[in-house]
Amino acid sequence: MTFNLRLIPLLPFLGAAILMLFGRKWSRDTVVAVAAGAIAGSCLVALDAFFTALPLAAPTGGLRDSVGTWIAAGPLKIDLAFRLDGLSGLLCLIITFIGFLIHIYSSGYMEHDPDYPRFFAYLNLFCGSMLVLVLGDSLPVMFIGWEGVGLCSYLLIGFWYKETANANAGKKAFIVNRIGDFGFLIGMFLLYQYAGTLNFQEINATATAGGVLTQPLWGATVAFWAALFLFVGATGKSAQIPLYVWLPDAMAGPTPVSALIHAATMVTAGVYMVARTHAVYLLAPGALAIVTAVGAATALFAAVIGFAQNDFKKVLAYSTVSQLGFMFVGVGTGNFEGGIFHLFTHAFFKAGLFLCAGSVMHAMSGSGDITIMGGLRKKLPWTHGVFVVCWLAICGVVFSGFLSKDSIIAGAMSAEGAMQDFAWVGRAAGIVLSVAALGTAFYMSRLYFLVFSGESRASDEIKHHIHESPGSMVGPLVVLAIGAGLGGLIGLPGGLFEHADWNLLDRELSPVLGAEVEVSHMTEIAVMVGATLLALLGIGLAWLFYGGGYREPSRKFAAAVPKLVKLAQDKFRIDELYQFLIVRPIKRIAQAIYFVVDRILIDKILVGVPVAAVDFFGRLSRSVQGNGDGQRYMAVFALGAAGVLYFATRPMAPDALKVTVSGLGVDVDARRGNKAAPEALEYSYDFDDGGKPEVSGAGPTAHHTYAQAGSYTIRVDVKDTHWNTSTSVKQKVTVR
Amino acid sequence: MSVLFPDGASAGDVVVFWILAAMVAFFAVFTITRKNPVTAVMSLVATFFGLAAMYATLSAHFLAVLQVLVYAGAITVLFIFVVMILNREEVTPLSFRPLRVLGVLAGVYLFVKFVDVVAVGMPTVVPATPSDTFGTVAAVGDLLFRDFLYPFEAISILLLVAIVGGVVISRSHQKEVAANLAADYRKQVHELASHDYPGAAEEPAPEGHH
Amino acid sequence: MPTIYYLILSFALFLIGTTGVLLRRNALIVLMAIELQLNGGNLALIAFSRQLGDLKGHVFAFLIIALAAAEAAVGLAILVGLFRGRQTVNLDEITLMKR
Repeated sequence: MTFNLRLIPLLPFLGAAILMLFGRKWSRDTVVAVAAGAIAGSCLVALDAFFTALPLAAPTGGLRDSVGTWIAAGPLKIDLAFRLDGLSGLLCLIITFIGFLIHIYSSGYMEHDPDYPRFFAYLNLFCGSMLVLVLGDSLPVMFIGWEGVGLCSYLLIGFWYKETANANAGKKAFIVNRIGDFGFLIGMFLLYQYAGTLNFQEINATATAGGVLTQPLWGATVAFWAALFLFVGATGKSAQIPLYVWLPDAMAGPTPVSALIHAATMVTAGVYMVARTHAVYLLAPGALAIVTAVGAATALFAAVIGFAQNDFKKVLAYSTVSQLGFMFVGVGTGNFEGGIFHLFTHAFFKAGLFLCAGSVMHAMSGSGDITIMGGLRKKLPWTHGVFVVCWLAICGVVFSGFLSKDSIIAGAMSAEGAMQDFAWVGRAAGIVLSVAALGTAFYMSRLYFLVFSGESRASDEIKHHIHESPGSMVGPLVVLAIGAGLGGLIGLPGGLFEHADWNLLDRELSPVLGAEVEVSHMTEIAVMVGATLLALLGIGLAWLFYGGGYREPSRKFAAAVPKLVKLAQDKFRIDELYQFLIVRPIKRIAQAIYFVVDRILIDKILVGVPVAAVDFFGRLSRSVQGNGDGQRYMAVFALGAAGVLYFATRPMAPDALKVTVSGLGVDVDARRGNKAAPEALEYSYDFDDGGKPEVSGAGPTAHHTYAQAGSYTIRVDVKDTHWNTSTSVKQKVTVR
Repeated sequence: MSVLFPDGASAGDVVVFWILAAMVAFFAVFTITRKNPVTAVMSLVATFFGLAAMYATLSAHFLAVLQVLVYAGAITVLFIFVVMILNREEVTPLSFRPLRVLGVLAGVYLFVKFVDVVAVGMPTVVPATPSDTFGTVAAVGDLLFRDFLYPFEAISILLLVAIVGGVVISRSHQKEVAANLAADYRKQVHELASHDYPGAAEEPAPEGHH
Repeated sequence: MPTIYYLILSFALFLIGTTGVLLRRNALIVLMAIELQLNGGNLALIAFSRQLGDLKGHVFAFLIIALAAAEAAVGLAILVGLFRGRQTVNLDEITLMKR
């Protein structure tokens, strides 16, 4: 079935184009109207497709809209096509809806910014690219969106590019992403080479059929390597170990950007991609194990770093990295639905948290330093309320985070089906995630207590300006809180209550992702209880340390292990490690290349030599042509005339004679080319080069028979009787 | 011998031709080899006269007279005037720079080729003596004012333009130079006056005229 | 005399003129040599005109004489102007195209 799916990414692209061309001339309201209108239009189309058209098309793979053939090169044929099924439809709704909310929020947040139209143009461009990524029917189309969001991430992180730090953050994001993209491309090539197709439907079908993709390759199977390389791409885009380092720096961008891109949408692209190509992953349990392990490690590692961060947005950034780790454990243990479920809930509560951050920073005159915050619950009631909802959601105590996190941990514990021999990895990951969940609760509660509880630690000047945000900012906050609160209901584990059909998410996703993981009731309840207890423990610890401000235990702890605290604050010096191991050597190589290739080879040799040659010839021709000496010109003129006469009047003689030998006789043909000789030419043939021509005044061909065998030189003189000029041609011939 | 005395030509014609030819050639060479420009002009006049006589033998009466009037008359006078203005003798009249000598040799080559090729094939008959009205003023004038009226008028305009051009080129530039200087000076004064002091703007550097 | 004699003389005159143009340093003499060249051409025209009995050659020669007069006038005017500026008519010294 087809549907005008192309409108979904097209509207934001149009919005971006219009704003880039005309935005500067329009008023702020018009700009917002165009941008938000475009994304709202997208949302409506997506809603229409998802709820009215998709149910009919779901069994046959969803809605498909092909704009045309994009690449047709030999056997490779790729259409520029979009597909909306349960999975991509869900993501579309997330992107367009949260995108819309953030557009509204930005109209208030960016009110005083002079580059208003550019911001909304980039925001629209991002939404369009993300939609292309999600709706892409094949890996290359997804890659277009993949690159597009990378670009927009760069543009938006470095939005205030006049500060070098911001520009550098944008660069870092783009470059680290690029490294991941390389892995993505390798994975794509592998899949094409062995599966012969890049279309998702076909890849998954080929994978499920088995055979082709389980061929051995480089010590493992094709599927393993393809999955692994694709996952490398995912670690770049979704900020997992080792390519997560760009995300905390990306907080240099405006807060709405952080909310949209680095919480709700772009960073989830990796998870989405794994879910999309799930059949390939299912063929390679080893790859799944790696995904799970990386996800779990990242989740814990980022959480620990988050303990010691003092910038509001940085805490949230590491929290995002950590939660993405959760999602990857979800998809890594074959629990694709669980991973997507967490993606969905995370989008709401993390975006809500970020927008609260924006609200708080707006109130604190632009500062995000939590050490000087405190007591904001009184002055920012709405923000406080939304934060509480999102905080409890992310801790997994109640609301949506509770359900999604538990589904992941439960799934990890029961991963035999997908991970087979590596099921122990899943269980280990489950335990690690539980610890990470404890950590999540701890640092998020730390954040809450330090920011909202107790008394304000800010200077009087800042305290004076603390005020609640305008309606345009608070409105989206509330909507997101509702989403964070109630969103979990779509994934209600109805199975527990013998009502499997209560799980709406499963209904949408299982046609795409296969049946959900079988989790025994015991495990599920155990996980629910255990996780909740751990979360409460975490909140309790945080209250102990930070309830109402910095309390004794926190100070004692900081005094006891100052080095550890510093290390965590410095993000375990990973950035410095990369700088030392990778960046500096590359810079040195680049400098060496610059000196050798650029300076010497190119500038001196490749440029210098032609320059010297041109200079020389220029001088030469200038001396002949342009030195102002009229008499010299006339002399050259005369020489030229004489030259023309000479060359024009020479008789037409061939470069080499055509001699045919037959026995002792030779036939000589002295014509030039094969044309008939002009009449005015006289030929004289000297067959032994003795100075006396044997035949004179003859035509162009002659015959001679030698008396003896041997080597002779034939000389032919061609004379132009009209002009009285002649040339001669010699040729050696051997006669037997 | 038949080269010097071709068949069909009367002895008088031949003798006159050779004398005139020698005179023309000799004085031409003389012209280009003199150190003193006045001597050069004089020998040029002699060449012109010789040519005029030759035209007369060729029944080109109008042109012969024209040659004397215009060439030996007006143009020579022009040359004399200019020689008088810039009379300088040269130490070494001829400059034998390699490229130019090559040019001359190229010319010689062309000449030799011409003689070799063309002269060989050309008919050596003496053309019939044209009628008495051939080459007279009336005959040429008739052609000029009828079939060749347009070129005639065009050349008149050309002469006019040449006159104007000559006058323009040889105008004295002193007044113009002085006028330019005065204009520059006035501009400087104006600029200085329109700037606010103290120290508002730098003085514009006086521009040298090119 | 047969036309060819006149032609050879005219070519010779032209050649002498060319030599003068190429090998003399004094610009004035060069202009004179140019006049020689033109006269060479005139001679050829008139010789042919007599041979063919056609007066067109005379007309052409007439125009050439007029042209030579104009050219001599302008050329000499330029020479005088050049002399005023550079104080020399030595062509070896007047080779700079731009001061």
